[in-house]
Amino acid sequence: MTAIPKSRSLALLALPAALLIVGVYAAPMVGLGRMSFNETGPTGAMVNAFSFDIWAQMLGDDFTWELTLNSLWLSFVATTAALVLGYPLALFLFRTESRFRGLLIVLAVAPMLVSSVVRVFGWLAILGDRGFINFLLMQSGLASAPTRLVYNLTGAAIGLTESLMPYMILALLAGFGRLDRTLEEASASLGAPAWRTFTRVTLPLSLPAILLGWLLCFVLAMSAYVTPKLLGGGRVFLLATEIYDQAITTVNWPLAAALALFTLVVLTLFLGTYSALSRKVQA
Amino acid sequence: MPSLSIQGLTKRYGATVAVDGLSLDVGAGEAVALLGPSGCGKTTTLRMVAGLIEPGDGSIRLDGVDITRQPAYRRGMGYVFQSYALFPHMSVSANVGFGLDERGVGRAERDQRVSQALDLVRLQGLGHRKPKELSGGQQQRVALARALVIKPAVLLLDESLSNLDSKLRDAMRQEIRDIQRALSITTLFVTHDQIEAFTMCDRIAVMEKGRIAQIGSARDIYDDPVSRFVAQFVGRANVLPLTRTGDGLSLAGAPVSVSSVPTGDVDLFIRPQLVKLLAPSEPASGLDRLTGKVTRVSFVGERVEVVVDTAAGRIIVEPPAGTTPPDEGADIGVGWRPADARAFRREDA
Ligand SMILES: Nc1ncnc2c1ncn2[C@@H]1O[C@H](COP(=O)(O)OP(=O)(O)O)[C@@H](O)[C@H]1O
Ligand SMILES: [Mg+2]
Repeated sequence: MTAIPKSRSLALLALPAALLIVGVYAAPMVGLGRMSFNETGPTGAMVNAFSFDIWAQMLGDDFTWELTLNSLWLSFVATTAALVLGYPLALFLFRTESRFRGLLIVLAVAPMLVSSVVRVFGWLAILGDRGFINFLLMQSGLASAPTRLVYNLTGAAIGLTESLMPYMILALLAGFGRLDRTLEEASASLGAPAWRTFTRVTLPLSLPAILLGWLLCFVLAMSAYVTPKLLGGGRVFLLATEIYDQAITTVNWPLAAALALFTLVVLTLFLGTYSALSRKVQA
Repeated sequence: MPSLSIQGLTKRYGATVAVDGLSLDVGAGEAVALLGPSGCGKTTTLRMVAGLIEPGDGSIRLDGVDITRQPAYRRGMGYVFQSYALFPHMSVSANVGFGLDERGVGRAERDQRVSQALDLVRLQGLGHRKPKELSGGQQQRVALARALVIKPAVLLLDESLSNLDSKLRDAMRQEIRDIQRALSITTLFVTHDQIEAFTMCDRIAVMEKGRIAQIGSARDIYDDPVSRFVAQFVGRANVLPLTRTGDGLSLAGAPVSVSSVPTGDVDLFIRPQLVKLLAPSEPASGLDRLTGKVTRVSFVGERVEVVVDTAAGRIIVEPPAGTTPPDEGADIGVGWRPADARAFRREDA
């Protein structure tokens, strides 16, 4: 048998993954990059070229920046809401000694098994003008006209939040490693009431979980398409929906490619800042 | 320093009775050990005193004030956890100062008391470290300092030394005992290690199955165990089966006397230190005696241990220091004063 040097044999292990990434990720990205320097002919067909026209047009358009802000804002709101709602749930699931713990965890992440289209229709039934919530509001006399809860940013945010929650809960559960009941008991024995124990011990110790969950869900939110598209009713303009529209509806491939790369840059910058900040917070 | 009084404390977990009507008084400034085998309910008792679990029944009083239903954070008990339970995200100083923050102690006084507490446990200068940067012994001291700095009503220690190596444990025992005495802190100390209980406490409460089997000084318990369980759990004892004869008891045919004898089948208990080695035919007035053969002589540290096989069974003898031990294989006699022997009912095998 020939002895393979250790570092080389380890590198071999990474080969399949590396090939896969080059094949399905890097190569298309390069293709996308190349495409963004093409031009659109008068007929709307893509013309091979090497010009910065599309980039200049995109970056000079206020609408691009509006899309960026919308996307960042919606992702921020939905991710934060998923965190606030998911945290107590995850903490309960982490802590419970119930023999149904496994089942409860499966239930918490079960929505992942349902197609997002189906879930969107569920939300329409709940949030629509003649949906469940408005029915209750009007029947109880709290409102005389239906409140707009779908086909706007609110609807998109609600739907997105719900679709992020399973991921948030899983990420939190994975990150809760340092949480320890004994530490909370120590805190209580030292004179801290429950809420002080929460802010001084539980919350700081779950910070790694929070940072991880927030990051994961933010990335998912930025790339979400179906939920905000359907619940936004075409009135919520985001980077993801615009890329789709440019590629499929308008068939402006160079612009769609440029937008996609632009989104990638925005996300990379954002995540760079985020991880630098979170390293500082955790130090 | 307040006194602690526990009355009829009970805790059930389903069918298990973890603590079963336990009553115990700890005087002001006194250190009492709860000594018992694993699973006898020591931790459960301590946690009820601290308010970390709710008692099913019974009461806990501090200087006569009922605190049975008071939440843990209002009790002001200093609890030293077996795992230390130091806050990993805080420095040593912050850990020690935690309880002072909760009491609203001002910054200057807090810093001063924290540094005093660190001095007390000989950790001066390590305040800025994180717990994980300390050795096990040092972490243990931080946990102790954190519990002491709040001037606890009662200091509660749960097997606090069991995670240390034996040398460090000896040193910490002495250190904790000195601090406890110097500050005269009312202390309840849980352990399954009798040496720990003997060296660190004024009185020892031996626990069996959620109850206190016997309470008293180390000497009392060692010399005068009230039950078979206590006699066997605390110290070592030779156990020899007795048979009832017409008007008395006999050990392998030889008549013996024991002060108080329970009914039923009984065994004789005698401590190895209280057995004397005799020449095989030496007359021994006032002693009950047996003859046998020396099967082993071993040196256990500074002690000598002689194993003698007799007709009644194997007897371990610890002769006083300075005696010349007999040769292995020699015929020998063993004897003891009847007053030193105890008889306890035989356990169902
Ligand atoms: N939370 C609990 N649930 C069920 N049983 C428990 C619980 N805590 C303790 N027990 C049981 O109560 C008994 C006493 O436990 P514990 O107080 O921890 O004993 P010790 O500290 O003396 O080793 C044991 O039989 C243990 O299994
Ligand atoms: Mg225990």
